[in-house]
Amino acid sequence: MAREEYEDFAETLEALDDDMRFEFLLDLAKKQDATDFPEEWKTDANLMHGCMSKVWLVHEEKDGLHWFKGASEAAIVKGLVHMMVRSFSGLTSEEVREISLDDVRRLNLGALTFQRQVGMMAMLKQIQKLAGQPVARESAGA
Amino acid sequence: MADTVSDHTNSTVLDVDAVRRDFPILSETVYGKPLVFLDSGASAQKPRQVIDAMRHCMEHQYSNVHRGAHYLSAATTDAFEQARDRVARFLNAASPDEIIFTSNVTAAINLVAHAYGRAFLKAGDEVIVSEMEHHANIVPWQLLAEATGVVLRVAPVEDDGSFRIERFAELLNDRTRLVSITHCSNVLGTNVPAKEVARLAHDAGAKVLFDGAQAVVHGPVDVQYIDADFYGFTAHKLYGPSGLGVLYGKLDILNSMPPFLGGGDMIDKVSFKGSTFKEAPHRFEAGTPAIVEAIGLHAAINYVADIGFDAIRAHEAGLRDYAHERLSAIDGMRLIGTAPDKAAIISFLVDGLHPYDVAAVLDRQGVACRVGHHCAEPLMDRLGIIGTVRATLAMYNTKAEIDVLGEAIEKAKKMLA
Repeated sequence: MAREEYEDFAETLEALDDDMRFEFLLDLAKKQDATDFPEEWKTDANLMHGCMSKVWLVHEEKDGLHWFKGASEAAIVKGLVHMMVRSFSGLTSEEVREISLDDVRRLNLGALTFQRQVGMMAMLKQIQKLAGQPVARESAGA
Repeated sequence: MADTVSDHTNSTVLDVDAVRRDFPILSETVYGKPLVFLDSGASAQKPRQVIDAMRHCMEHQYSNVHRGAHYLSAATTDAFEQARDRVARFLNAASPDEIIFTSNVTAAINLVAHAYGRAFLKAGDEVIVSEMEHHANIVPWQLLAEATGVVLRVAPVEDDGSFRIERFAELLNDRTRLVSITHCSNVLGTNVPAKEVARLAHDAGAKVLFDGAQAVVHGPVDVQYIDADFYGFTAHKLYGPSGLGVLYGKLDILNSMPPFLGGGDMIDKVSFKGSTFKEAPHRFEAGTPAIVEAIGLHAAINYVADIGFDAIRAHEAGLRDYAHERLSAIDGMRLIGTAPDKAAIISFLVDGLHPYDVAAVLDRQGVACRVGHHCAEPLMDRLGIIGTVRATLAMYNTKAEIDVLGEAIEKAKKMLA
């Protein structure tokens, strides 16, 4: 299920030019605004450190599948958070473990800058950590 | 600004088209749009004169300095020491021996915190900084405080970013040993009245250090006139290369200080019984210095001096006023830092928009700004904001570029609404 969403995001980004990718991200940000992320989840414990704008990620495991929700203060980052949590939710532990940095690079087309790529890699590692899985490294699976 | 001298005043009107032709990078495009570079406060672009001087050194003259018994080494040593002499004249130091080459202002302040601070300050002594310092002028003093028990005091900044000398004066007392303060805020553009700060500090028996990273770019600095004990600046913000900073210090103070870094070039004699050290400036320049960069800085100072600070200041003041007027016309615009006679550093926020998003949209329009806390988190806390978008205006910027900035902000408002 999530893999389909991931493929949709990746293929859409590949088909767009840079300007349209940027607009696509902002549209995703608006969708993310409409998702439920209560204020009380915005705690220091859920905060990712080292981001230029604040990013919160929460995790829930249900029937052996991992589900993530996220929020951010900045619109562009919200768009990235939206892609990440939609792409990588509903996966088994093994599937979460197997997400590679290259998988994230395919979604990074809309982010455009190295700094944001670093941020997305950090989000992947946080997702894997929350799911109790080892984090992806450059040599593994790349 | 009060800290002016007359010998920097060559021409009166800046020919911005001619200046722009000297900076090759300004004709670049980004995302297919003309580059509008408004991030010179982070690091300025380099004129051809600087690039040529550095290339010429590496192609025709380069060698290590101060030690070779051959033609190139002598020639490079001469050029390196001429750069020191040029810096001394730029700051109106009494002697080139008062000019220490460091790697940046951060290194210059750390040098003072270690070599002066650890030798002469003790538990209970007070160091005063301000709320608008760059982290480079906060953290070295916090480290010193942890190591020695020195107490850090903080001079306040007003809501509009202005600096009130009487509130600073209230902090001075008989325990004050050092005032280390910015000469011009990198976020707000606020100019600190350096001569008055130095006079008050000296009356209290304290030494004074100015962080001149931004100030030297926007106006002339005369360290003897302001009576600074230490003054730091960096080459890369002054249209010169990165990797090179300057620490000015009064010669008697420098020669009273122990070395900071030990190594080659700074020693008088070395044996396993102990070593003795050279006098300033070489005592504080351990290891091979940034040779080509010093030659680049020499060219950068010549470039700035040829244009003249009268012309640069008039040009930048015009840009600053125009930017304030143009941006204030945008609904929801909040300018951060509106002190009188501030430098052309324009920090702002747009109501309801995250500064990071605004900067990202500006970037897509070819407008390069800086976003974030600008290494001044305590100032952000003081002002109750998470960060700002910052446009710094330099001698090569134009009113047309400010119009592009204004249009790009309006576009950001539409896109992010």
